[in-house]
Amino acid sequence: MTTVATRSATEMSRPARRFGIGRILLTLLTLIAAAIWFLPIYWAIVTSLRSDADTVREFTLLPSSPTISGYIYGITNSQLPVWYLNSTITSVVITVVAVLVSAMTGYAISQLRFPGRNLLWWTILASFMIPVPALIVNHFVIIADVKLLNTHAGIILPMLLTPVTVIVYKGFFDGLPREYREAAVMDGANPYQLFYRVFLPMNWGVTTAMAIITFIGAWNSFLWPFLVAQNVQMMTVAVGITTVQDAFGVAYGRVLAGAVMASLPVALAYLLFQRRVTQAIALSAGIKG
Amino acid sequence: MASVELQSITKRYGSVEVIRGLNLSVDDGSFTALLGPSGCGKSTLLRMIAGLEEVSDGRALIGGVDVTHEQPAKRRVAMVFQSYALYPHLTVAQNICFSLSLAGVAKSIQKEKGGRVAKLLQLEPLMDRRPAELSGGQRQRVAIGRALVRDPEVFLFDEPLSNLDALLRVQMRLELAKLHNDLGTTMIYVTHDQVEAMTLADKIVVLDGGVISQMGSPLDLYNHPANRFVASFIGSPGMNFLAATVAHAADGLQATFDGGASLRLTPRAAPHFDGTQKVEIGIRPEHVTLSDPGAGQIDGVATVFEQLGNTSYVYVDTALGQIIVETDQSVRLHPGDRLGLTLDPSRAHVFEASGKAWAEQRPQ
Repeated sequence: MTTVATRSATEMSRPARRFGIGRILLTLLTLIAAAIWFLPIYWAIVTSLRSDADTVREFTLLPSSPTISGYIYGITNSQLPVWYLNSTITSVVITVVAVLVSAMTGYAISQLRFPGRNLLWWTILASFMIPVPALIVNHFVIIADVKLLNTHAGIILPMLLTPVTVIVYKGFFDGLPREYREAAVMDGANPYQLFYRVFLPMNWGVTTAMAIITFIGAWNSFLWPFLVAQNVQMMTVAVGITTVQDAFGVAYGRVLAGAVMASLPVALAYLLFQRRVTQAIALSAGIKG
Repeated sequence: MASVELQSITKRYGSVEVIRGLNLSVDDGSFTALLGPSGCGKSTLLRMIAGLEEVSDGRALIGGVDVTHEQPAKRRVAMVFQSYALYPHLTVAQNICFSLSLAGVAKSIQKEKGGRVAKLLQLEPLMDRRPAELSGGQRQRVAIGRALVRDPEVFLFDEPLSNLDALLRVQMRLELAKLHNDLGTTMIYVTHDQVEAMTLADKIVVLDGGVISQMGSPLDLYNHPANRFVASFIGSPGMNFLAATVAHAADGLQATFDGGASLRLTPRAAPHFDGTQKVEIGIRPEHVTLSDPGAGQIDGVATVFEQLGNTSYVYVDTALGQIIVETDQSVRLHPGDRLGLTLDPSRAHVFEASGKAWAEQRPQ
């Protein structure tokens, strides 16, 4: 009887918990927050589908006469395909090289013993003390001196420095039991095989997460590509869309159509790898300076 | 198969010496257990044989070849780790054949060798699974398979059964014994579990504080411990130790316990001493028998009575401290029962203050 009574009480408390007033309020609050967050995106998409005259006339939730002229203009009258290509090249190279170099650096600092190891580690940690914008002028002067302005290499090189990724990798390699390394050594693995066949594949989840977040960061980066890519043929999408204007000033529909097209790959990456992106943010939380 | 010989092996971490000038000879094809409590240096010793730890001083020989400074992979040894250390991103088949794959062995040969090992260890249905999808016992078998595929001359086991539950541990112990019988390969097995060492090994090396306390066959160590440490470490429940004073008597020695009880000892050899000497008398639970109060050498009160089915243990509080007695299953006792205890003098061990054992008793 006692068991039955206890079970009934539990069953009765479950619906109460599910539909409690606090829970309803929390859900409403979440929905409101989501709507506020989504509003600018919605506004950008809707405005990209309006004509300029329609945009300035009145504010409506839906366009009265939807048009894709902004998109057509962006594709035909700008260098958008070239900017896409530039963004793709720079983002992919930055992602592959930065993640690989960071993984190798993290591995070396975590697993190998060599003179200057601690100095290297403290240098990487200390690099957080200097804000990135403070380095921009130095980077620009160096890149200009080596004649790399308006080149892919000029955009890519300074963006390969990702200490956060090194720290994340080191943390993961530190956390692996030493038996894995020893078992592989007993199996005859040389230092390269240890890294490429044991340690790197064992952290595949971390690598995927780091690659996605690095790619998104590289694709969205604006300040450095804006400074270094002055030639319209070398601009990335993020930089290029700011030039989609005409003699009458800012054309909202065209600019926002460009913005939507520019953010499409990132939005797709978010949608496809949602879990990994969240993991990457969690991994680097508290590290990013 | 190969023998292993350690000559004056020393291991230091900074100024701390964890292995001190140790000499050990492991016979070709033998099963040797390195036994000792945590921190005694048994795992360090095994890792030095494997090449995973540098030797500070001394030489290590495998099959007569000096391998002191040789790479682990070139020592012809294979090791099974306590945590198994199976690569989580590889399947069972890939784990087993990993060393062959690293060496660039042809896929067909990998498959053939991996298949042979899988058959021996009954892993065939599991070859496509990853370690996370295996039970503890299956992982253990894969770890052994990974070692086996390399055709090593010496197997090194570092507490391989520690992570298994009691039932599986017994089963795996049996499988290891069978494997040793089938292969005849030299095996060195590190454990802190004396039951594992006693049941598996044909030679046990007891380590204490980085030195060998005693080595010999399991029964040799059980029946003739060289010192108090070995006597207390081997056997479960442990040996009883009773403080006593010994003096020379007409035919041997007379041990007098605190409180007046005495025991006549006839050791094969005892060091010369004048007057009396403080010692500890060691006696195993099965060499103490229960009697009526006043009928034995020592009286006491039963505090705990453990019935294990085939045998029972009585924990008796006496004036000399707690004494554990093994009895047969027919005996029924209750906490609080008064008892007399009779010690078998022919099975008593005498340990001097330094812990060293005197030679065992003459049969009476």
